Amino acid sequence: MPTQEELRNKEQTYYDDVEVGQDLPPYIIGPMTPTHLFRWSAAIENWHRIHYDQDFSIYHDGLPNILAQGSWKQSVMPQYLKDLCLPNGWAWKVQFQHRAMIVPGDTITVSAKVTNKYEKDGLGFVEVETGMTNQDGINTCPGNGTIVLPIKGGKEIPYPFVAPEE
Amino acid sequence: MTTSETKLTDEVKAMIGVEGELAEASWYLIENEGVRRFTQAVMDPDPRFWDEEYAKNSKFGELITPPIYVSYQAKTPPWGGDPVTQAFKENPVADGVAQLKERPKGSLPRVPTDLVRNLNAGNDLEIFQYPSRGDRIYKQQRYANIIERVGRDGSHMLIITTEVNFYNQKGEKLCTTRASGFRR
Repeated sequence: MPTQEELRNKEQTYYDDVEVGQDLPPYIIGPMTPTHLFRWSAAIENWHRIHYDQDFSIYHDGLPNILAQGSWKQSVMPQYLKDLCLPNGWAWKVQFQHRAMIVPGDTITVSAKVTNKYEKDGLGFVEVETGMTNQDGINTCPGNGTIVLPIKGGKEIPYPFVAPEE
Repeated sequence: MTTSETKLTDEVKAMIGVEGELAEASWYLIENEGVRRFTQAVMDPDPRFWDEEYAKNSKFGELITPPIYVSYQAKTPPWGGDPVTQAFKENPVADGVAQLKERPKGSLPRVPTDLVRNLNAGNDLEIFQYPSRGDRIYKQQRYANIIERVGRDGSHMLIITTEVNFYNQKGEKLCTTRASGFRR
């Protein structure tokens, strides 16, 4: 995970800098602990016991442990893409499936690989395959997204972002 | 439990496209303390969330929030009762999530099914703008799709996709979230 200083001083990645097939810099998160999960539940007021009550999770719901929240994963992925785009790009959209559980002890690599790039309306659109892969190599959240990066010498990416017409 | 009966009944299919009214997403405004709790929990130390001077000179010109922060504003208001106590009053081994009798304004009608267990299937997010501090957030929900799947054991389940559009008080769209969940 980047520090606040790294985010403050991040240099722009330009559309011109990325190529199809390129792995963008990953995040490493973890190892996750029950306290991380509990803090998330408290922050968003999600009182579902499978996220912080181990006895309930294992003996009542038959799960292997308490589980990281889908809402947490849903927030980490756009955060990661946001950081890839800073300071002047825009993380436009992302979609993913919840395929495997994240449990305490897991260390997660959040990743993006460039699958396509194209210019439209003077902006640089970069399509990526995304993942949240645990230490055993299981991609818990495979998906894909589109980020918008400035083109060197090109126009500014508008904010608020306006999606291009199909 | 296994069953050969479809769960995608005409009543369930009729829910596709049903839209709730545009309603305020929470009783409080976008403010620093909420952003602090959220960003610490998601482990994002971005100074654009809290350093006003730095944020003012950024592309955004002001403090921002995490990309889909606005989708977490539906917290119980002070007059909303106590969902935790209520959950355990109804069931001593409750999962902690009460079915509130009085549903928030703008809620979608419940899908008429006897399937009760929920499991996240996936998310689809589109982000256009961050809210400003002091903004009021509004949302409008609709059932974007409902399909049926049959498990290996022959049991039928529904995959329900709910779309929510979030707006600020000026009617500017901030983001769209689509969440798909298994109902078994």
